[in-house]
Amino acid sequence: MVDPRLAGYPAAVESPPATGVAALLRRSFEHLADEVPQSYRHLVAELGPLVVEVDVGGELFSVRGRGGLEVADGPSTTADVRIRTSREAVLEVLDAAVGLPQAVEMDRVQVRGELDDVVRAHDALIAYAHAAVRAPSQPGLLTALRDDPGGPR
Amino acid sequence: MNAPAAGLARSDFLRAPVLATARPDGYKEWHHFVVHRPGWRLLVNFNLTSENRLNQAPRLVPRVIVIAHQRRWTGTIGRFDAADLDVAADLGTLSIGGNRLSIGPTGYRVLVDLPERDLRGELYLAPASRPFVVNNQPVGEGRLSWLFVPRLLAYGWFHVDGRDHRLDGEVAYHDHNWGRFRWGDDFGWEWGSVLPASPDDAWSFVFMRMTDRRRLRALSQALYVWRHDEPAAMFRDAAVRVRWAGLLGRSPDCTLPTPMALVLGGEAADVPASIAITAHRSSDAVRAEFRPESYARLAQPSELHLDRSVVLSETSGSARVSGSIDGEALDFVGAGVFELLHG
Repeated sequence: MVDPRLAGYPAAVESPPATGVAALLRRSFEHLADEVPQSYRHLVAELGPLVVEVDVGGELFSVRGRGGLEVADGPSTTADVRIRTSREAVLEVLDAAVGLPQAVEMDRVQVRGELDDVVRAHDALIAYAHAAVRAPSQPGLLTALRDDPGGPR
Repeated sequence: MNAPAAGLARSDFLRAPVLATARPDGYKEWHHFVVHRPGWRLLVNFNLTSENRLNQAPRLVPRVIVIAHQRRWTGTIGRFDAADLDVAADLGTLSIGGNRLSIGPTGYRVLVDLPERDLRGELYLAPASRPFVVNNQPVGEGRLSWLFVPRLLAYGWFHVDGRDHRLDGEVAYHDHNWGRFRWGDDFGWEWGSVLPASPDDAWSFVFMRMTDRRRLRALSQALYVWRHDEPAAMFRDAAVRVRWAGLLGRSPDCTLPTPMALVLGGEAADVPASIAITAHRSSDAVRAEFRPESYARLAQPSELHLDRSVVLSETSGSARVSGSIDGEALDFVGAGVFELLHG
């Protein structure tokens, strides 16, 4: 059964299955640039020169803005902020089962970096959320994240 | 045919095929139902919103929103593609995927089928009071029209939260809204219905107040009182006074769509502990006090700002109404659902 929220979003339904969070995030950024370009530019501006390394259940990648947003696989030697979490914790926050502050307090999301950089990374995350809730492709990508068997858990 | 439903299909038809086709920018339309059963409330909303996408013609995006309250509000927003939308030629049936709303000569038939969320049901809602229409009210730079039916009787069944609920003549409320405006513009609203616990009680109440976004100015307000199937009194603008008191000391039961909780944050309620409405006109007087008990947040991204959101708090609670209309005293405790929109 196809999730009704996916119906009519061929990019999310017909594309080859993504394997891992980084691949889904890459596709998410591509859709944002296409569907909500103003929000995408706002997100790029919020991230600025920051490099954020993300570890989701052992899957390591980094996010940076170089005119556009880039997702690079593997560890980063130049990361300003490092975030470590699990796929379950990501979904709990997106499902509003746990608030982001509570997830950090419970160590479900660990964040390391200089305070100013952590604040900038947080602002960029909120800008990403604002962009994602305005883009029609994103519910399908969230379902893909939920269902994706490819990434490490 | 029951008398309150007479002419229903002539007044409560889908406007989108005409109005959104002529000028789609900013167009929105929704049908909203609230069913009250002792200890349980159900809100169903069939929603159409015109969305612009880069280098593409605007399109109507359909949604089906279902939230229910037993001990707390839970629910979902089912978003569908434009291809899943169908409006019958007589403008009386709206289909969104497997969900359908039909407006017939004797009432509304609502079919909900959201299998991914284990939500489904079939409702038949028969008007027990005549509908009332208000046209072209300002909302920011836009305009909104609405039709409401203060009281209906609900029959059928609904499956939510893993449980089946049977309905056999429970009281319900309906409104239908359409117009062009932008979420995040300079407006807010408070919109509530109060229905007595017993369907045998004759009185029904609908309250609305349109404000600016900061809720410092009331642009229009009204309290509508129905007795049986007919309007008994309408109090407007200066005849109505509204007083909020305190804050509800609890966080929202849920936020929909759930990712919006990330951008809204916060646990503190922007919902009052009570809303007191007093209205006087000639020898008629009504005092209604609504005491919120819990609420769900339905969030909309602002259409004017990239980093703002609009929150509709669907708030349930009890209401005590007293006063006198046409020399007849009224005094009862009922169920209320108020929608508080904060820009």
